[in-house]
Amino acid sequence: MSDHWRTPRTRTLRSRLTIALVVGALSTAVAAGALAQIGKSTLIGKLEGPEVVTDPAKQPKTFNEAPQLAAQVKAGKLPPVAERVGQDPLVIKPLHEIGKYGGTWRRGFTGPADFWNGYRCCSGPDHLLFWDYTGDKITPNIAKGYEVQDGGKTLVLHLRRGMKWSDGKPFTADDFVFWFEDIYQNKDLVPTPSAAMAINGKQGVVEKVDTYTVKFKFPEPYYMFPDMLAGSTDVAGQAWRGAFGLGGYAPAHYLKQFHPKYAGQAEVDKKFKEAKFDSWVRMFLYKNDWSLNPELPVLSPWKTVTPANTPTWTLERNPYSVFVDTAGNQLPYIDRVVLTLAENLEVINLRALAGEYDFQARHLDIAKVPVFLENQQKGGYKLYLDPGDYGGDMIIKFNLSYEADPEIAKWMNTADFRRALSLGIDRDQINETFWLGTGTPGSVVPADTNKYNPGPEYRKLWATLDIKKANEMLDKAGLAKKDAEGYRLRTDGKGRLRIEIMTLGGQFVQFTQISEMIREHWKKIGIDLIVQEVDRSLALQRTAANEQQLGAWNNDGSEHLFTFPTHVFPFDTIAVVATSGPLYAKWFQSAGTQGKEPPARMKELMAKFRRAYGVPEKERIQLGKEVWKITAEEVYSIGIIGMGSASMGVRVVKTNMGNIPSRQYNSPDGKTPTISRPVTFFYKK
Amino acid sequence: MLAYIGRRALLAVFTVWAISVLSFVIIQLPPGDFVTSYIAQMATMGSVVTDEEAQNLRIQYGLGQPIYVQYFKWMRLIGQGNFGMSMEWRRPVTEVIGDRLWMTVVVSVAALFLTWVLALPIGIYSAVRQYSAGDYIATLVGFIGLAVPNFLLALVLLYLGFTLFNANIGGLFSVEFQDVPWSSARAWDLIKHLPIPAMILGLAGTAQQIRIMRANLLDELRKPYVVTARSKGLPESTVVLKYPVRVALNPFASTIGYTLPYIVSGSIIVSIVLGLPTVGPLLLKALVSQDMFLAGTIVLMLGVMTVIGTLISDILLVWVDPRIRLEDT
Repeated sequence: MSDHWRTPRTRTLRSRLTIALVVGALSTAVAAGALAQIGKSTLIGKLEGPEVVTDPAKQPKTFNEAPQLAAQVKAGKLPPVAERVGQDPLVIKPLHEIGKYGGTWRRGFTGPADFWNGYRCCSGPDHLLFWDYTGDKITPNIAKGYEVQDGGKTLVLHLRRGMKWSDGKPFTADDFVFWFEDIYQNKDLVPTPSAAMAINGKQGVVEKVDTYTVKFKFPEPYYMFPDMLAGSTDVAGQAWRGAFGLGGYAPAHYLKQFHPKYAGQAEVDKKFKEAKFDSWVRMFLYKNDWSLNPELPVLSPWKTVTPANTPTWTLERNPYSVFVDTAGNQLPYIDRVVLTLAENLEVINLRALAGEYDFQARHLDIAKVPVFLENQQKGGYKLYLDPGDYGGDMIIKFNLSYEADPEIAKWMNTADFRRALSLGIDRDQINETFWLGTGTPGSVVPADTNKYNPGPEYRKLWATLDIKKANEMLDKAGLAKKDAEGYRLRTDGKGRLRIEIMTLGGQFVQFTQISEMIREHWKKIGIDLIVQEVDRSLALQRTAANEQQLGAWNNDGSEHLFTFPTHVFPFDTIAVVATSGPLYAKWFQSAGTQGKEPPARMKELMAKFRRAYGVPEKERIQLGKEVWKITAEEVYSIGIIGMGSASMGVRVVKTNMGNIPSRQYNSPDGKTPTISRPVTFFYKK
Repeated sequence: MLAYIGRRALLAVFTVWAISVLSFVIIQLPPGDFVTSYIAQMATMGSVVTDEEAQNLRIQYGLGQPIYVQYFKWMRLIGQGNFGMSMEWRRPVTEVIGDRLWMTVVVSVAALFLTWVLALPIGIYSAVRQYSAGDYIATLVGFIGLAVPNFLLALVLLYLGFTLFNANIGGLFSVEFQDVPWSSARAWDLIKHLPIPAMILGLAGTAQQIRIMRANLLDELRKPYVVTARSKGLPESTVVLKYPVRVALNPFASTIGYTLPYIVSGSIIVSIVLGLPTVGPLLLKALVSQDMFLAGTIVLMLGVMTVIGTLISDILLVWVDPRIRLEDT
């Protein structure tokens, strides 16, 4: 018999509390009926959003501001609005209409670790470049424009003339040079350089051309760099990365007082001791933390006034916000954003149901969709679903470099075995049960509209239910022998072929319950699946130790293949709770000096992926398609349900809010809802 | 007596030191460290922490050092009255806990108060009127309170509150009173939010205390001195209240040792379910995210409170019950 029978399960307390109690009580009672009447089509609207106006002829000539700012101007406390937004403001055409000033946006969050929450709603974003609402095209953002020169080796960024930090000090090329020379290159602040600032392992540099022009220079062509500035990477702005000494720029005039080079070591040492920090480094990084330090000069449209590590994270309008609408009104329309701390997700869901949040998608549970629908009237809100463009709200990763059990390792490295397992899953049943029919069953490839999608035929490739074929493939592969209960036997004579899948509880998707359902499906193809729910720290430890066999997770972010490749192939050596091969990832990251050499097809994929960073976009798109082709053909991961809304796509919005898109691009790289430009949201009454 | 207190106090100091070592070790036991759990948390929220960042974080937080070095660093900080910096909250631990400590005390004291106010009279009644209808009803209600897990009760009440009253759900304050300075309006808002958590927290305790009081008092009521008192013609209320009740209160004195830490930690699960800003959820989060200094400080605090509580109950018992004699005085 196999020696690894069930190991004890570890569950987090939260998952135990959450299980079914409220979910069960609330939703099952009303589930079926409510949804059947409303249906998928009315819940998922048309993808739409505001646009950035780049034509200088369409720039507004005069500017307006919020009443309280106008009062401050009158009192002589602030310069006039035209001076504050500078000569080249960032003009955004609102989705439907010009809005009205005022109001407080109420949201829920779960504590300082839920930093993404405020960052996604209220940072603007403060990226140098960003995406349009389709998540596909790069648009100017904090930078007015960019040029790729020198065969891809240089990126020239044009800044906005007269643009200011939230304290009224000018934002110029010096803030980039300060960041690069005194923060990024300081070994105490950033001990290990970032991969985003390097191409083929060679680091780039930042240079000032003039006050409003900056150059990022690289030793080799780096055509991907504009995408890096737009995505969620180490060079993607102060709000996202300032707290790590990264981000691409930093407020030099403010931070110099905490930097030994400018303030002197003795002075800085005195300061950090007084403030009870462990070191000047910790103090410096805290001071550059957008979510924690209310004094920090920022570029985002709202700025933190009570920090994220208190019960209420409050942000207020930045009087120097560079965002304006097409009529010249300085944005945002909404005065304040209040994120209230909730100790658990059920409380957030209940508060959303009671209409206590104005616009919330984060932490809302897809299993509760029927309950949300039922309470729309009472709560004064409307429910929207924002499916992601990624192919897997849930995928199953094979650990391809698994070694602990050679028999299992052999099978997981057999393409037909992986394909057969994929054919043995009844995706429609899973879709109906867990996504209430709103997801799209299929392989791991992104939506058909995604530029890297290899073609519509890849959606169903090895991703339909075909038990007969699956059984034939497994028989042919050499697993024809079965035991009395109909399960296939190992070829080394050690009993039944048992495969373990590792899942996490308390997530956006009910990985454990879905895996249990797949266990039932796989009985029909004679495969014995063992579902193990583990605590996330244990999951990380197992993946790092190469002990995981199968892992359940999603591939969100993979719609931006090159900035978010983690879930596509063995890319990261760390930071995954489900891995597709840590030893192969090590091999890839170390350029073949460490880890284990992958098979030919995987090597081909990796080579294409690596090459894509240094070639122009057209060629990159082609390479991206090929990467997805190989992934789908080889079934390195089994795609189950894609284009689903489980991950932050269940959105509850008060009916009195304006400029709300009926569907928004849901993606980590798009920092949804920021991709819908919350600066243009407003209260109609 | 003084020597006795002195000896106990000395022992208490040693116990506290042992607790500090244990709490530090226990927190280190689960796999990984704060950075691993931070990475996992980021991963579950749809973002990726690179190798370089993880490395940088470990250096910053001093997590690469051997555990005893980390322990001594922490001890040195405590010596200076600084309990360290919470890794997750990035604020001094004392501040993070301080915010919530008073809320916790308010909730727990309210629950405790409710428990005693209900349990003592009902317990006395049940004993004096044993096997009466009232006794049976009290017993039934008591056992239900004891048998229903209080987090389940909390969930049910949350749901009822939402469906029937559309009540503000969870928390101790309405949104508008969340961070304003203290005022009579804010205090009233707090009082309005207290009954549900106090009731849920107090119910199980009440049942238990009723049973203890009833059993103790029944023992006493059958003793000859009660019969004597009664035959002397004392009014029934004096007979019961003057001696048997006092003696029956003994176990309450000896449980003060547990009551003190209970005030801080008793409400963990209910607080999580109801979303109360108390120490409980903080401890759970700190343990899950392996925020060592924060979790360590809370565990240490609970330990110290147990030790002090035990010390108090020992002294109290000697004082309340003249039958307890110290061997060497």
